[in-house]
Amino acid sequence: MKRPLFLSLAAVGLIGLTAPQLLPAEELSKKEMRQAKRKAKGRDVPGKAVEKEFKPLELAPLSSVKNPAPVERNRDLALSWQQVQQRAAGIDQEIAAKLAAGGLKRNAPSSDGVFVRRIYLDAVGRIPSPAEAKSFVEDADQKKRADLIDELLVSEGYVSHQFNWHADMLRLKSAIKRAKYGLYERWLKDGIRANRPWDKTVLAMLAADGSTATNGATGYLLRDTGMPLDSLSNTLTAFLGANVSCAQCHDHPLADWTQREFYEMASFFGATDVSHRDPRKVGNRIKTHADLTKQDGATVFSPSMHRIKDTGTNAMIYPEDYAYDDVKPGSKVTPRLISWSQADRKLSPYQVDLKNAHTLRDSFATWMTHHDNPRFAANIANRLWKQMFGIAVHEPIYDLDDLKSGSNPKLLADLTKMMVDLKFDLREFQRIVFNTKAYQAEANPTPAIGDIDGYLFAGPVLRRMTAEQTWDSILILAHGPEIDQFQVDKSHQTTRFALDFDAMESSTKALQDATLAFKKAGYIGSGSKKRLSDMDLAGSGKMPPKFGRSYVLRASELPQPERDGHFLRMFGQSSREIADDGSREGSIPQTLMLMNGEFKELLMDPESRLMKVVSSENSTGESLEEIYLSFFSRLPTAEEKKLLQTEIKKGLSLGELAWTLFNTPEFLFVQ
Amino acid sequence: MIHRRHFIERAAKTAFGLSVFPHVARGYQLESTQGLAGFGSAKRIIFINVKGGMSHIDTFDPKKGKAKGPADVIKTSADYQVTEYLPETAKVADRISLIRTMTAKIGVHGPAQYFMRTAFAERNTIKHPNLGAWAQHYLGASHDTLPSSACINEPPRYGNGFFAPTYSPIPILEPSAGLENLDIDGGPRRLKSKLELANTLSERFVAKYQDSNVAAYRDFYDETLRLLRSKDLKAFDLGQADKATRELYGDSKFGQGCLLAKQLVEAGVRFVEVTSDGWDMHQDIKGDMSDIAPSFDQGYAALIRDLEGSGMLDSTLVVLATEFGRKPDYSGAGRGHYPLCFTVGLAGAGVKRGFVLGESDERGATPDVPHTVGDFHATIAHAAGIPREKPFLTATGRPFHVGGTRGKPILEMFD
Repeated sequence: MKRPLFLSLAAVGLIGLTAPQLLPAEELSKKEMRQAKRKAKGRDVPGKAVEKEFKPLELAPLSSVKNPAPVERNRDLALSWQQVQQRAAGIDQEIAAKLAAGGLKRNAPSSDGVFVRRIYLDAVGRIPSPAEAKSFVEDADQKKRADLIDELLVSEGYVSHQFNWHADMLRLKSAIKRAKYGLYERWLKDGIRANRPWDKTVLAMLAADGSTATNGATGYLLRDTGMPLDSLSNTLTAFLGANVSCAQCHDHPLADWTQREFYEMASFFGATDVSHRDPRKVGNRIKTHADLTKQDGATVFSPSMHRIKDTGTNAMIYPEDYAYDDVKPGSKVTPRLISWSQADRKLSPYQVDLKNAHTLRDSFATWMTHHDNPRFAANIANRLWKQMFGIAVHEPIYDLDDLKSGSNPKLLADLTKMMVDLKFDLREFQRIVFNTKAYQAEANPTPAIGDIDGYLFAGPVLRRMTAEQTWDSILILAHGPEIDQFQVDKSHQTTRFALDFDAMESSTKALQDATLAFKKAGYIGSGSKKRLSDMDLAGSGKMPPKFGRSYVLRASELPQPERDGHFLRMFGQSSREIADDGSREGSIPQTLMLMNGEFKELLMDPESRLMKVVSSENSTGESLEEIYLSFFSRLPTAEEKKLLQTEIKKGLSLGELAWTLFNTPEFLFVQ
Repeated sequence: MIHRRHFIERAAKTAFGLSVFPHVARGYQLESTQGLAGFGSAKRIIFINVKGGMSHIDTFDPKKGKAKGPADVIKTSADYQVTEYLPETAKVADRISLIRTMTAKIGVHGPAQYFMRTAFAERNTIKHPNLGAWAQHYLGASHDTLPSSACINEPPRYGNGFFAPTYSPIPILEPSAGLENLDIDGGPRRLKSKLELANTLSERFVAKYQDSNVAAYRDFYDETLRLLRSKDLKAFDLGQADKATRELYGDSKFGQGCLLAKQLVEAGVRFVEVTSDGWDMHQDIKGDMSDIAPSFDQGYAALIRDLEGSGMLDSTLVVLATEFGRKPDYSGAGRGHYPLCFTVGLAGAGVKRGFVLGESDERGATPDVPHTVGDFHATIAHAAGIPREKPFLTATGRPFHVGGTRGKPILEMFD
């Protein structure tokens, strides 16, 4: 049964390059609000319903729906070269003093070949191409290491690599059930591209309002929708290094946290509605219209149903199974900030408003991200240090409760102060650390588990590449550095359905009309069949190269996380269920994949960059050098050359040689 | 250091002079079940995971009256009845024991599946292992060239939990395809010589760092080579079974998965999980059961028969698990999720034969004496011979027991 289009619908059809919006025509009076609420409860019984009026949606043709251009890449490095060197020298001094006290010395400087491979992997997440490696090694400039660091830190590869690192820490997923987080991914990448300070990033995530269609920063809290306690636990651990997870259910057996303290912190989120209503239920309501299906409704409304809103009433209560008798189960929890010492409470971050329920979450976010909060800067400095050296100054990273312990508390204090001085400019922090002699020294083997927290940083530690580094490095071998330029942006999947769902919820008619309008304009179902459409491209807008049925894209541009069984997952990409869960360990199926997997065809494809090198007019000697440069960023030694030339005479093909080098630890490990 | 004081006060109150660990102080010390009936009787475990929520009323716990589903009851070779959707299972029911009194609280698939496979509620801060990883931790590897755990028809999701990644089950997503990426260019001999060349070229690197992770990688290559050359590698290949056997299990992913599971445990893999998918029947019990039940019924019954025929049933535990049951009220369409009462099964390995533990009420809504998923896991761990009283301490110092601290082995299940 088809209904005539209802003309009394109001709209603010914001059309064009961004997203359409549907908002109530005018502010509601208090009486109308009450009516709307009553109606919402009764789900508009026919005849009794008071239809609120919406203007019809005016939608631009689907072909004009495009993702906004990415933000401009911030290329301005804050410090001068001298300032960087000065700060780097300060860090080296601190490390040298600690080493000397232990009767040790910093490792010898790494060779240019080792350094260039390491810095590409650590700064842009992939190995250098042979040309990139060669031009660095042959450069005679004294300042060349500092210059390369600067160049890499403002490149597109940096965005990709840092995004992977954030995604592991924040447990980022492209989709959770019916919610899509393309806008969140986009927001994080834009933040890295613009070099948004860390305190601003975290503040924005914790204080975010809006929906998956309107504000990417909501992705962080919506990630844990329906699990506010787990969310808090992860938040305290990721941003402050507070080891609280046990306290959720009982007093922490090994640390100082109590269950009551945990609930007092959770109470800061008690007046926030992080909604995950099931869009299929709306689908069931709108499908009474003959032209609409349940799925249509789910598609249109899911993006705006996943939203964060402050309610103004704190609903946090102590749980029925509260383990102690200092408060009554079921009673209200008064918000209170945790502290690590009585002195903490005198600090400025603690002077936030705890009374106004409307701003409780903002108070929490302000406290957490404050530069005087002793652990906020220490935590991110410690985590970044681990990203670069392989081991954090203070291990494990999720337990910073005692800042006085750890291998070098003075170093951590210095780095914390530096982070605050730099106003949480993560890139500048990395720039300084990359310029230290300690970072540029030869690597050490990984210490035994018991010795990790006593490591004194004579150099970085040898590490297996992350799953993402491995994948991205294979792409470099097969396609070269231009692979960095292909960016995927699926934010249009939600932004094009930006609606004020809360305002429309009570009116089935309004919901149906909006769905019909989207359907008519072709917004539903488009682009979802293909793995990649031109709408999904950001940046250059060029389609990436194909391999078999899929596109060749860096890990940061693929679904987060990749499907089970994908190369990335087999190599330890986090399932994004728990924080910092990326693994660098091996397995049998992983080894089988290295030996016999489909990537082999990617590398051995005649069109691949590697195979072109091999099959070109080069002499065997030249080909060997190119292959070594490709895999290891160095030339073969005379001995290696001799050995390989003998093997080649005995029948080893250059393709088999490439396979062999791929299956050596020198390829898979970052020196 | 203010909070330290609270902590010590509390510890002192509850455990004065005994221990400073509150979890021990609260009575979480578990009793050993070593030496009791059934302990260690299961040398191998096949864990059948019925995914989507198996309707207990339409399968193993049939009801009359308003709760009754589309199917009638049939007699079995045991003293209990099942619905007519399970004719083959009915014939081997005297080997299968049921627990009709399971209860849980989670009614959402993902978290409930996680809970049924690990006995822990899903948390975003830690991953819990499945039973295969627990067994490997306490009992060691089960074979010198094959992995100790496998999972069929599903990825290894949260398999190793907080244990090393090598404890993760080896995934076989398509039983007929077996283990993938086994095709070696130029054959095993060529592979070996290429890997020897790789080793020679790596000598300098390996000697320079003497790194444990590098060594671990070389170990994986060795293990993989061993597996590739293992005489038992054929256990992953269903082509090994004769036509009659393959037909006995039925031409379905689940049936063939059961056959693969049997081949793997026979070859020495200790723990194999087989998933049967598609049991989330919200709209149409009648239609969905007719689609899925026959292949399940055939595969499950064939597995029991085949294990018995090979003389392995007495030492192999066949677990039948699902994340929850389905709602008692039936109006001719589907049924919703219902975790408060559902049925699971155990067969083989010292378990009583054709026994039913407890009963649900006339609607299948409430168990008389409820048993938890923790109890169920503790029971399986007991059968596997795991000393459950010994906790495993994670890297952060958190103690864990198989089946959780509250789980109790259901010893009535054993002879």
